[in-house]
Amino acid sequence: MSKECCSETAKESSAGSSGESCCPTNTLAFVYGSLLLRLWLGVRAIQTGVEKFAGTMTSEQVVPVGGVPNEEGLTAGGALKHYALENYHGVPAALMKKFEAEPLMMKFALPLYDKILGPALIILGLTILLGLAYRSSLFLLGLLYISLTWGLILIKQDDGVSWIAAHMILVVMALALAQYNRLAILKKW
Amino acid sequence: MNTDPSNFSRRDFLSKSLAGAGAGLVLGAPGILRAANQSTGSDAIHIALIGFGKQGGVLFDCLKNIPGLHFQAVCDIAKTRQDGFRSSSRGHPGATSTNFYTDIDDMLSKEKGLDAAIVATPDFWHSPHTVKCLEAGLHVYCEKMMSNTIEGARAMVHAMDKSGKLCQIGHQRRSNPRYRYTFNKLINGQKICGQIVNANAQWNRSLKASQGISSKIKISDDVLKQYGFKNIDQFLNWRLYRDLSGGPISDLGAHQIDIFNWFLGTTPKRVYASGGRSHFKEREHFDNVMCIFDYDTPQGEVRAFYQVLTTTSYGGGFHESFMGTEASIKISEIASSSAIYREDAAPSWDGLVDKGYLIRKPAPPKPAPSADAVASYESAAPEIFDLPGGFGKPAHQPHLENFFDAVRGKGKLNCDARHAFESEAPIFWVNPSALSQQPIDFTSEHLSV
Repeated sequence: MSKECCSETAKESSAGSSGESCCPTNTLAFVYGSLLLRLWLGVRAIQTGVEKFAGTMTSEQVVPVGGVPNEEGLTAGGALKHYALENYHGVPAALMKKFEAEPLMMKFALPLYDKILGPALIILGLTILLGLAYRSSLFLLGLLYISLTWGLILIKQDDGVSWIAAHMILVVMALALAQYNRLAILKKW
Repeated sequence: MNTDPSNFSRRDFLSKSLAGAGAGLVLGAPGILRAANQSTGSDAIHIALIGFGKQGGVLFDCLKNIPGLHFQAVCDIAKTRQDGFRSSSRGHPGATSTNFYTDIDDMLSKEKGLDAAIVATPDFWHSPHTVKCLEAGLHVYCEKMMSNTIEGARAMVHAMDKSGKLCQIGHQRRSNPRYRYTFNKLINGQKICGQIVNANAQWNRSLKASQGISSKIKISDDVLKQYGFKNIDQFLNWRLYRDLSGGPISDLGAHQIDIFNWFLGTTPKRVYASGGRSHFKEREHFDNVMCIFDYDTPQGEVRAFYQVLTTTSYGGGFHESFMGTEASIKISEIASSSAIYREDAAPSWDGLVDKGYLIRKPAPPKPAPSADAVASYESAAPEIFDLPGGFGKPAHQPHLENFFDAVRGKGKLNCDARHAFESEAPIFWVNPSALSQQPIDFTSEHLSV
């Protein structure tokens, strides 16, 4: 797009119509667009992965009665969110049972996928955010989203498929704008 | 245990994780790793789960939250439930080397080093399974009802006494902090009810929630017969059959009639019951049962009415009420269904509120005067209060925690088999009273171990 804009034909066309070059302004917009997509996709993937380590714990603040903590253990609040390795579930337990019942699902692959999904999202999110092999990372993230889509199609979660499709559009847009990517640690790949 | 996840807060995680700016979440991984549950350490309790159906799953969801448990074995005659356990226990450090069995004798002969068993099989298997485990030297947590027969329940008490092992029965309200606070602090401590003169409890369940269970689960006829089921429907819906369970009055009523006996501090002297098949004509058990227990308490006589209806949810689900001359307490496992009502003639509770014993709830709006009201016959609306706190755990977890605390020598059981028997014994006589349409006056023969 920018190459077209900067080509002689485009320059002539642009000069002929308004007398101003479109290149500097549009390139900056594409750079900004690329950065925003990179931030969005990176943060989205990282936090999705981290949330797979989230669980709840109960409030330990015992309510005082008559000036002393009650012996029965009544507490002040409800459940609090916390993060721990033991909370990890790559695939939510409710969905896991549905997947296990699917004849097309490869049973041996399911536990493996469950193990790698969270770490994969975090790692790909980080490489995208830091600009490490940006295009390949986006491509791998797209493949990950395709795998999620396939699973959701199996268990007829059409809303989820649509939701991931929106992510796929953003991945493709990020790839299309990859040439404007700046502030990258490793531009190759 | 030093691995209690409650010691690891979100703030801790974030403070460790954000050590570096861009790569903070990667650096946070060691922080996550430290929170792992050391369920296979030397102080771990090695347990067997006997029965992994619906209730077994409910208990396991609580057990997963209790540190220091090693799930050494799971036993269920339905092999497919092994997959259910694997799925539910994924990632739990205490369930990485679980052995599976379909026969409890096989399991007890092969598994060495077991400390305790959690029994969540159908009611008619509770007693044989619990007795086997106690005789094998295991502490036992067994779901209520203790048995489908009073003889079975007695055998459990005798086995507990003979073995010297712990046997907790799953009347989980006995360990519920809200129930314990209500009993210890409000009824006994502050005596806010005055004289309790009536009690009332119900479990009303809709038709939809009372339907039989259907499943594609497959078990061979030989295996079903070996374990006392005539067919797969009996395996799935054992609660509906007279030889296998006590029916709704024991399935649902046992929890709440237990609260009558616990809060009133004694067992009833008589029961009158009525029941029938109002909707589910083909079922062996009554689908609706109502009964009245008469009590003689140190404070005076108390009548306690209980109903279990499996044909309607009207009336607010399940709860228990204790009605006194100065206040009434409505309590349920569902906190929002609970409240405390002060009679208008009772002494002020402002001091109790100031000290934190109770929280005053906003008064409901006064109804507009109506032409058909006869003011002199009406009582003033009672003030409404609430407990000063709750607890954020699954309902069964405190009772299981109490069991494992006792196994570790850190406390006493809140509902051992002997106390559970005292509480359950009157329940065994509700169906006979309803069938004979006669009251039953209890003697020691009815209620003693």
